[in-house]
Amino acid sequence: MSALKSVVRLLAVPALLVAVWWTATEGSTDYFWPPLRTIVGTFDDTWFHGRLTSDVLPSLLRLVAGYLLALVLGIGAGVAIGSSRTLRAVLEPVLEFFRAIPPPVLVPILMLFAGIGDGMKILVIVTGCVWPVLLNTVEGVRALDEVLRDTARSYRLRRGSRLVHLVLPGASPQIAAGARQALSVGIILMVISEMFAASEGVGFTIIQFQRTFAIPQMWTGVILLGVIGVALSALFHLAEARVLRWYTGLRRAQREG
Amino acid sequence: MTGRRNGPAPAWLLGGLGLAGLIVLGELVPRSGLVERRYLPPVSSMLSALADQAAAGEFWQALGETLRGWAIGLAIAMVAGVVLGVVIGWVPLLQAALNSTIEFLRPIPSVALIPLAVLLYGTEPRSTLLLVVYASFWQVLVQVLYGVRDVDPVARDTARSYRFRLLTAARTVIWPTALPYVMTGFRLGAAVALILEITGELVIGSPGLGRQIAVAQNSNAVSAMYALIIVVGLIGVAVNVVARAVERRALRWHPSIRTEAAV
Amino acid sequence: MIRVRAALAAAAVLLLSSCGGGSSSDDAASGGLAEVKVSVIPIVDVAPVYVGIQQGFFKEQNLKPDVVTAQGGAAIVPAVVAGQVDIGFSNFVSLMVAKSKGLPLKVVSSGVGSTGAAGKDFGGIVVKKDSPIKSAKDLAGKKVAVNTLNNINDTTVRASVRKAGGDPKGVKFTELAFPDMGAALDKGNVDAIQVVEPFLSTALKAGGRLIASNYVDTAPKLTIAGYFTSQKTASTKSDIVKRFTAAMQKSLQYSAAHPEAVRKALPSYTKIDNSVLQELTLPDYPAQVNKDSLQTLADLAVQDGLLTKAPDVSALLP
Repeated sequence: MSALKSVVRLLAVPALLVAVWWTATEGSTDYFWPPLRTIVGTFDDTWFHGRLTSDVLPSLLRLVAGYLLALVLGIGAGVAIGSSRTLRAVLEPVLEFFRAIPPPVLVPILMLFAGIGDGMKILVIVTGCVWPVLLNTVEGVRALDEVLRDTARSYRLRRGSRLVHLVLPGASPQIAAGARQALSVGIILMVISEMFAASEGVGFTIIQFQRTFAIPQMWTGVILLGVIGVALSALFHLAEARVLRWYTGLRRAQREG
Repeated sequence: MTGRRNGPAPAWLLGGLGLAGLIVLGELVPRSGLVERRYLPPVSSMLSALADQAAAGEFWQALGETLRGWAIGLAIAMVAGVVLGVVIGWVPLLQAALNSTIEFLRPIPSVALIPLAVLLYGTEPRSTLLLVVYASFWQVLVQVLYGVRDVDPVARDTARSYRFRLLTAARTVIWPTALPYVMTGFRLGAAVALILEITGELVIGSPGLGRQIAVAQNSNAVSAMYALIIVVGLIGVAVNVVARAVERRALRWHPSIRTEAAV
Repeated sequence: MIRVRAALAAAAVLLLSSCGGGSSSDDAASGGLAEVKVSVIPIVDVAPVYVGIQQGFFKEQNLKPDVVTAQGGAAIVPAVVAGQVDIGFSNFVSLMVAKSKGLPLKVVSSGVGSTGAAGKDFGGIVVKKDSPIKSAKDLAGKKVAVNTLNNINDTTVRASVRKAGGDPKGVKFTELAFPDMGAALDKGNVDAIQVVEPFLSTALKAGGRLIASNYVDTAPKLTIAGYFTSQKTASTKSDIVKRFTAAMQKSLQYSAAHPEAVRKALPSYTKIDNSVLQELTLPDYPAQVNKDSLQTLADLAVQDGLLTKAPDVSALLP
């Protein structure tokens, strides 16, 4: 496929949607739905004169820290819970209990233990991101074929190598699904964490705009979140392609062998 | 596993043990002085506040409103997520074209959409419903997309070369592979829907448990607030029990369930 | 599975059809009473609405208030502007900021005000018992929690600091919800908190020390918040709005004169603990907006950079 063709594919629908938005709001006098022209016009002023380093960067650093921590915790705990039926049965209701509690009411409880600094905000991101990773890992590990498991046992693979060569690769497609879900959940939690005890950050800025009725600026913030989402997802695809190539190679080898 | 020799303990018993452990922890942490009781009261005082609430009709009405909003929102998100997920996932061109748009829309937090929801529907339950559907739809959609991608390439090619119609392909080829992903999507979506239902009620003030939590917060009624949060958590536990039951029926043939039955 | 699918589809259809029938809330007369939708925050400040309903002051005006509670301005202001709600409740700094951004809002009634008595107001700045902070002057360089940044509470805390002879620029404000402030103060996450009732009583009972009454320090008898509508509602439903104003006047006067009625009304929409309920300091419920105090507030907001130019206070008021 030519490069041009893939660019067209990538941009056709977004371009169409932007065009629709642009024409639908052109000449709009509704306070909360300003013309897209106005929103785009304020974008530069709003974000590119200092806020990129003073707000966007700290937010992204917290997001990355929280996301990576959630990946480690989610996959680690997921493998353990997925491999042990007893552990799964004991922990499942407890985990489901905490999973259902909305972050806006969970954050005050976290603040009791973690204070109100960056640590608390990273913790909030972890508490949101960890669920898709954990759940998918548990399901992925559970779904491993019993035959493969027996094979591994009969070859007397040690626990460590069983994990690296069998469990993680076998569960990785589903872990990848969870990791991708967690990414956008993380961005959402990044915003929510900055609703509490914050003085900088993308989320904090958007909420401030919302409260001070700076509506075009608020829209630029919403658009910025979307752009961050697309950028991070592109990065994720690169990483995922590497990890899963290793996995697909292994699967092919298993099939042919 | 040593338990296997004497016959494994039933899942509900083990799960009950887990919850009991949580209750003990929740009683001991405030009593030990690790946190101030004023801010995190022991579970016993939360439960007594819960008993007070349960005596009032207002609580049950709020519970009903929350459950109704959650169920409707989740149902719409599930139907839309599964249908669109299968169609988009099966047609490579569609997926390539929509990928960037999906990635753009997904991380936009529902909290940022609150003023817009209120603008459209005021403080009616529909405002909250909008947030619920928006947030849980993506959870389902992405799971389904991954599920469709996991379909065996040989089966996929076969289905294509025999020119299966989409419906036939969905039933025979896609659905069996994607179902575990869909079930996980359901569980993820169900929790997110509940979270947004409560958050929407809390911030917008549409009727339900979330609004009760907001009132308790504003009144500094700490035990009453935690009592309501416990109820929300328990709804989460109940939803999972139901999801597991559905899963066991739908996935009887799948390795994840087969091994479970074999043990 | 098929049955599940059918049920889901049915649910979706039901919902879509219920979305289609747009219900409008105009003069839906129920028993001769005109319904008026009011959106408030479930706090002590809005008690007169409930007192007025209990005393029948709204009925006298042939009004049936439908009171809904929301968390704050993020939900209330758009609902009023869009006409989804007729009347909203907000503090005056928020209203001035909204007005300066061109939102078509109009105040229809006064709402709540400071008692004007230092040390005996319904809001104040609290520090830990053993804190080295003795007065508002010492807040310079310290971390102070307010419930919303760039709004009425940090503006009035700055006024307290100025009045005590300190430099308000040095104060580091942190945003925390009222319910979370006590714990943050105890843990030393913040050095001082600005709280209102019932959190003020609770903080003082827990050993906190009041160092300033920020509303009193701002202006004598400061009017803090009020009820507003959109200019569109004000003209299309002018009669209902006028009757609401009249009923509110009576409710405010009655509430100011009958604190016991206010304490009786509070449990109907809050969950404030009974022991706190009897002790908490009630705010003043002025029937008229104190215009001078608002002008002071507006000047402070300009000085602190919340507003770029001085707002026309009279244009906002009825």
